[in-house]
This record gives sequence, structure tokens and C-alpha cells, in this order.
Amino acid sequence: MPSSISNSRHPAIRYGKILFAICTALAISFELLSDYLLKHHSETYARVSQQYADALRVRPAGPGEPMSVLMVGNSLLLDGIDVDRLQKLTSSQLSIHPIFLEATGYYDWLYALRRLFQQGSRPQVVVLGVGVNAFLSNGVRQDYAPLMFFDLKDAYDVASDLKFDRTATSNLLFEHSSVFWDTRSVIRMQILRHTVPPCRELFQLLQPQQAIPPEPEFDALANPRLQRLRQLCAAYGAKLIVLVPPTPASEDAVHHMTLASRRAGVETLVPVDPAVLSVHYYQPDNLHLNSEGAAIFTVALATYLPRQLLSRESIGSPQ
Amino acid sequence: MLFDSPAFFLFLIPVVFLYWRLNHRAQNVFLLLASYFFYGWWDWRFLALMIGSTTADFLIAQKIVPAAQNPHRRKWFIFSLVLNFTILGIFKYFDFFVGSFAGMLDNLGLHHIPLPLIRIILPPGISFYTFQEVAYIVDVYKGRIAASRSFFDYGLFISLFAHLIAGPIQRPGHLLPQAQNERTFDPDRFFDGLMLIFSGLIRKCIVADNCALLVNAAFGGQLGPPNLWVVLLGTYGFAWQVYGDFSGYSDIARGCAQLLGFHFMVNFRQPFLAHRLQDFWRRWHISLSTWLRDYLYIPLGGSRLGERKTVRNLFVTMVLAGLWHGANWTFVIFGAIHGIVLPLERFFSPAKAKPRAGSVPAPPTGFFALWARRILTFNILCLSLAFFRAPSLHAAVEFLAGLSNFAWRPEYASAFFLLCLYSLPLFLIDLHLEATNQEYPFANTSYAFRTALAASAFVALGLFSGSNLNAFVYFQF
Repeated sequence: MPSSISNSRHPAIRYGKILFAICTALAISFELLSDYLLKHHSETYARVSQQYADALRVRPAGPGEPMSVLMVGNSLLLDGIDVDRLQKLTSSQLSIHPIFLEATGYYDWLYALRRLFQQGSRPQVVVLGVGVNAFLSNGVRQDYAPLMFFDLKDAYDVASDLKFDRTATSNLLFEHSSVFWDTRSVIRMQILRHTVPPCRELFQLLQPQQAIPPEPEFDALANPRLQRLRQLCAAYGAKLIVLVPPTPASEDAVHHMTLASRRAGVETLVPVDPAVLSVHYYQPDNLHLNSEGAAIFTVALATYLPRQLLSRESIGSPQ
Repeated sequence: MLFDSPAFFLFLIPVVFLYWRLNHRAQNVFLLLASYFFYGWWDWRFLALMIGSTTADFLIAQKIVPAAQNPHRRKWFIFSLVLNFTILGIFKYFDFFVGSFAGMLDNLGLHHIPLPLIRIILPPGISFYTFQEVAYIVDVYKGRIAASRSFFDYGLFISLFAHLIAGPIQRPGHLLPQAQNERTFDPDRFFDGLMLIFSGLIRKCIVADNCALLVNAAFGGQLGPPNLWVVLLGTYGFAWQVYGDFSGYSDIARGCAQLLGFHFMVNFRQPFLAHRLQDFWRRWHISLSTWLRDYLYIPLGGSRLGERKTVRNLFVTMVLAGLWHGANWTFVIFGAIHGIVLPLERFFSPAKAKPRAGSVPAPPTGFFALWARRILTFNILCLSLAFFRAPSLHAAVEFLAGLSNFAWRPEYASAFFLLCLYSLPLFLIDLHLEATNQEYPFANTSYAFRTALAASAFVALGLFSGSNLNAFVYFQF
């Protein structure tokens, strides 16, 4: 005889149904509340969505206009570049449109750029600055990026690129589709920061650091990524420049990156040799530039970026 | 499909809903297919291995029943054991032993000798379903249970998705009759199943996943070079991580089973309240420790053959228990530490009166004596867990060598605070369960109270779950 659970009036079933209803209501509330918090209280979301919208309007410069530059990167650029100052210093030559999202790497920007191009953005130059570690990392940011940078097909493609199993793939799709699922770690972090203030320093410490592989491995990893980015940009008439921001003791990594880029036909820009910056110019996390370091980096970037771009005759063709 | 992923619940809810609308035979077929889908979600190729192994043991069992009058009964029995352990050996241990052999030759000065390595991914749950198949074959051979006549019943016993990947390892005498007989819908047990799932999710997503952040940083060097504080954070944190992780998995597995009308054995009983290591193994991963006791330790002679052989049997059993967890010398050392401490416990702290078989000596009666023993046991366990967690023996020794360095950093205070924050609720729950002897917290309270509790757990899960989906630690075993 087939059994049925729907007709039972047992209190366990009644409360089971109530529990199911409460959980469904809570899930919907979480989703609506996260959407509200994201759109009204998240500084990161507000900044990145504004920058993204600006980037969509970027078009090639007309005669006499400054060259359009889309500059994308992670917290190394967010903390390391004073964008207003950079824009002021280069305003006659460049029109800079930044999108900076913390904790992002190669795959986040590959798909973000692809989407931007598909949606009509047409910069003449794309400057990517994520640091060597993040460029080589195999992953995407689990919050913000799936929601803001990927469409559904991108999420599938990212999962395929990163060889995610089906569970991780489905999770990425949920992160793309649900604001709550995407931002739950951000919400948790905010709660912890408000309830346990010293946790901020601890969580900065907890970030895993990827070791830079030796040169043959480095090249094998970096070369296809650089080629792919270059081809993407070239397909939409943009020139790619890999910007390497300074991080402590990264001389070897910068050297490897420069060589790998050269082999891939991509220009690199190292405005400040990491060897010349002492710890005095870094924040206590010993990774990001402080305001003094950012001032040096911004001025150097304002000096070398236009020089590197305007010394070339053709824009959009790889070296 | 991870138990803590949204995809799993999109699978579970329709399965439970449809399942109770089918008759018994259809339920078994449906559940077996659903379990194969669940397993194939990782990698369909491994499904063929599991179905092949299940089919082989199903057919062999028909030939080894005591009533079969088969002259080759013993040969078939041995063939089955060899087959099962060969499959496990190839997929789990082949590269380990070949690699260790190559390392040994290297140390002897014989370099660059080509040795075959198969470099295959470990099929999920292979240790678990192999142990269930072996238990089935042994029990059929010994006449403890009858061989199953239905492949669907037997297949369900082996492959039921709730226990398939990381246990609890089900004993044939307990689960097979449940697959064979019609299951009736029990609303109370159904509701208890829901509570167990919430309990498991809290253990996994809040306790284990958050502790994992600290543990990974301690073992990964982000908290600085190993020192006393980093070692304490790493080992204590890992103890709570692995406990939350695996007991959480077991709770969710048991909860899912109860939603489907099955009953699984309890796998954890407040293990960190054990007052000696022997007591710990009666509370920790009970399905494995009883399996090892019944199918390895007792057949070796147990404690019946004198003190020296008891010591030998304990050591062999614990080393193999360690190796069961993974193909690495770190797991062997983990098992060996337990294999050394257990006999030492018998020697230095013998029972005042000979305990009944299967029981442990009574705990100390005084409050302070009891807690001193509990703390000592926990710390011995944590020492062994350093080997369990470290990626290599060298890394484990280097990590533990930090115990002689006392360098302090202000961030450690926050780390210890967070460790307490995440582990304290589980510790308090364990104290409550120990005092009340219940299966899950507040099991005897009203439905309304438990519904409110589960809803609160849902909120807590939404706000405090670890940020990423982390595979359950025991999936690799």
C-alpha cells in the first residue's frame, strides 16, 4: 500500500509543515533583506556598480580627445591608486575609468571584461592590475563577482574553466542567482566586525597566500591566461596592459610576470620597483600600500602609463 | 553533492516527497536509483566501480551461505575479501605504497628506478562501502545473516545515499532487514530526522567551517611560524573542526535516513568528554571503531590471549584504523600514537574491577579527577591530530616543534576568542547530552519548542555559516 504523509494530523507533521513554512518565509526574507542591504548599505556594491555602469559607457576617443582607458583590479589598486589624482595628472592624455573590486583575480576580470565588451564597452586600452598572486590563482571571488560580473552562461564557463565539480558549479549558479547566497559571507563578516572588532586584523591574516611557482611552471600557467586576455581585448579593438603594483619582496614575481607577458605579446607596466619601497610605505597587513605608498605609486603611474601608451602608434594590435 | 549545499536539498525534498507515495518494492528501486544519481553527481565513472563491486559481492554471497553445501564456499569467501581489499588497495593505497617503496630505494642510493604510479582520483566513499561489503560477506559466511535474494535490497543497503559517502558504516544485521522489510511512516521519527538535519548543519556549517579558517591558517603558516599558541590553535581548532564536521555529517545522514523510515546507529557520543582514550573510541566514529573491534580486533584474538598479544592486537588495530583514514604516513603515526597510548592506559590505569566485555572502566568519581582525566585525554588526542591534519610527517614534526617557542602576537587573542565562540556551543550541547543521554539536544521537549529551536538554527545558519562550501573532512576517506 502506498503511504502518504500529507493527510496525517499528527502534531509532528503539523509542526513539520509549520517549520517548512517558517524556513521558506525566512529564506524569502533573507533574500529580500540582503537585496535591500546590498543596494542601500553596501559601499562595495555602490562603488563597483557605479564604476561598472561608467565603464559600459566608455567609447574610443575621437580626434583630440584623451585616450579611453579601462583600469580594472583588486584592492592592490583600490588602496594603491588615488584615482582622482591620477585622472588630474593625466587628464590631457587619458580618460581613466576604474573598476576595483577587492580579492579578485584573473578569472573574475576575464569574465568581467568579456561581459563589459559584450554589453558595449569599447575602451581603447584595458589596464589589468591584480598582483602576481591573484593573477595566478585558480578561483573567483565567491561574493559580489558572481552577481555583478557573470551572467548565467559565464557562471557555467567559469566553473568549467576552473574544473569545478557539479556541487561547486551549482553553488556558483546559486551565488549568481541569489543575492543572499552571494553575500552571506559579507553579512557574516559585517556582524563579526561589529561584534568582535579586533577580528578585522585577524581575518586579514587568515587569507591564504599562494606561493609563486618557479619560472617554467610560472610561464606555463601565466602564458595561456595572458594570451586569452590579449585576444579578448584585441577582438574588441582594445590594447591590454598588465599593471604590476608593488608588494613586499615581490621582485622575483614581478620579473617572472614581465618575462611571461613579453613571451605572450602583452605589455607590462611596473611603475614602481618593489625593491625601492620599504615597509614604511605599506599598511600593517604588509601587502597593501598606505597613503604615502599610494601617492608614490599614483605619480609613477601617471608618469609611465601615458608615456607607454602614447609612444606606440597603433592601439589595439598586440606587440 | 554535499549535504550542506543547496543542491542537496533540491534533491532531498522531492526524493522524500515521492518516496512516501510509492509501495515498498518501488520505494527500494526508486531510492537505489536516487542514490546512484547522488553518487554519480561527483563522477559517473566511479558509479560503475561501485555497482560492479556491489554486484560481485551480491553474487558471491549466494555461494557462501552455510546452507549452500558448496565445496568451494571458503574459496569464494576468500576471493571476495581479496577482491574487495584489492579494489580498495589499488584505488586508495597503491600509489602510497609504491611511492614509499621508491623513497626507501632512494634512501638506499638506488635512484631513478622507474616504478608504476596510477595517479587516480580516490573514488568517494570507497572505504565506507568496501567495509560494509566486507561486513556483509563475513556475516553471511559466518551464518549471522541470510544472503539477500534481492539485488535492490542489497544494493540499497550498500548504496543508500544517506550513508554512502562518509558513513556511518552500517552493519548488515541492522540495515539490511530495514531495506528488506516494509517501512512505515512514523511522524515522530520524521520530525526527529528534521531536528537531526538542523543539528548536523549547525555542527558542520557553523562550528567546523569556521574553525577550519583558523586551522588552515595555523597549519598554513598565515599565523606566523609554529609556536605554542599556533600549535594550540591548530590542534584544538582541528579537534573541534573534525568533530563538528564528521558528527555533523553523521547527524545529517541519520536525519535523512529517518525521513525515509530508516534508522542508523549513533556515530558520536560526546567524544571530548571521554575520560580515557579507550573511552574516546567508544564515543568517536562508533560505527568504525565497532567494525574494527568485531572484524579485526576480536578475530585477531582481542584481549583473550594474554597481555602481550592484547598489546599487539591493539597496536595493529589502531595502526590499520589510522591507515584506513588515508594513504599517508601521517595517518599511520596517528594510529600508532593511539596504539601505544591504549596499552599504556591499561597498564598505568587499570580498571579496579574487571569491566564487562564491551564496557570501559568507570570514570573517576571526583569532579576534579574526572575533568583532569578528560583534559589529559583531549590533549593526547590533539597531539595525535597534529599528525592527522599535517600534510606530511615532516610538516607535523616541524609544527609540533613550535611548542617550545612562546612568541605572542595580538591577533592570537582574537583567534582564541573566535575558537571559543565557535566551539563553546557544541561543548555546552555535549555537556547537556551527556547529562540527559538524549540523541540530540532537547529531544524530549515539545514540538513547538523544537520548531522554534530549528527556526533559530535556520537563522543562525544564514548568518554565521562558514563562507565557502567545504567538503566534509571524511569525504577523502
